[in-house]
Amino acid sequence: MTSQLFLDNPSSCLSLSLAENGFGPFFGTPCGFLAPFYERVERDFGLCTVPREDNAVGMAAGAAMAGQLPVVMMQNSGLGQSLNALASLVVPYEIPMLLIISLRGVLPDRTSENLVMGRLTEPLLNGCGIPTEQLRADALDAQVDWARDLVGGQHRPAALLVPPTLFGWRA
Amino acid sequence: MNKASAIRAIISATTNEPIVFTTGYSCRIAQAIADRPNHFYMTGSMGLATSIATGVALVTGGPTVVVDGDGSLLMNPAALVTAGAMSNLGLLHVVLDDGLYASTGGQSTPSGRTDLGALARACGYDQVLRVAEDDAFAAALSDVLAHRTTPVFIHCVLSAHDSAVPPRVSAHLGEHQRRFRHHIQSTMTTKV
Repeated sequence: MTSQLFLDNPSSCLSLSLAENGFGPFFGTPCGFLAPFYERVERDFGLCTVPREDNAVGMAAGAAMAGQLPVVMMQNSGLGQSLNALASLVVPYEIPMLLIISLRGVLPDRTSENLVMGRLTEPLLNGCGIPTEQLRADALDAQVDWARDLVGGQHRPAALLVPPTLFGWRA
Repeated sequence: MNKASAIRAIISATTNEPIVFTTGYSCRIAQAIADRPNHFYMTGSMGLATSIATGVALVTGGPTVVVDGDGSLLMNPAALVTAGAMSNLGLLHVVLDDGLYASTGGQSTPSGRTDLGALARACGYDQVLRVAEDDAFAAALSDVLAHRTTPVFIHCVLSAHDSAVPPRVSAHLGEHQRRFRHHIQSTMTTKV
């Protein structure tokens, strides 16, 4: 898989790369920033839509303990909803999973209701001890390898953050 | 029936099935009765025991038990929606309903007018049972574990008090999780 392919169609290439690296099952709650990627994963690999993000984290914890490398996709507003699930379940029990979290409230997204969580997303995750990488279309290959090493290799949680325009969103 | 007698019945009726115990006294009581590797003691994240058990059942395809409480179910009824949506999920959802937040001092739960079984049925659970006696609960457990492969909800109405509460879960939580994970994986390889 080449970086050029990622640049042409980041959503299909990211989903394929995750599956090729053994990630799954996929859980999520929809987000406009993630939509093309979310729908691609749903179509190609199956995805369980969960009505609240912390429930998706809980289900992923169960899937991880059954031996999988689960992925949870959510908007960063759902990170607020999920904070206790991360702080009192995922982190202290050392449960591996990959979080893919959109960065609402980060430029060029100026929606007022999202600005606070936009500012808090990385500090919250890092404060929990969950390493983060902000996805870049020209580095997706290496970033999936990074996630695979942490989640699959070191059995730790990790988070890939999705900037507003990565999958085509426009302000 | 009290919490300890109900948990004793669940432990007697199961062998290798993964069991997720909700936060509060359920974990502590289970650990004191028999600390088996098929037990997962969820000491925090109140409300998520059912979500965890759903994730386990989704992957293993086999029967998985969650021991929930009325307070924790009320905290996260969304978990019923997800489990109930999966018609072939081998989830046995037991709710031990004492009407109290027992581990925070015994405050009443605001469920006086809520029909927990009807909530589960409305979310798609295939079978909903309500029991108030130890014998009836034991019979329901053995029947469900032997025959059902769809989400089943057993509402246990507790009326007797529990005596002394056993000590907190003391295991290192990472080690505890890996014990459960290893158990599931070792029993899965013998299946299918």
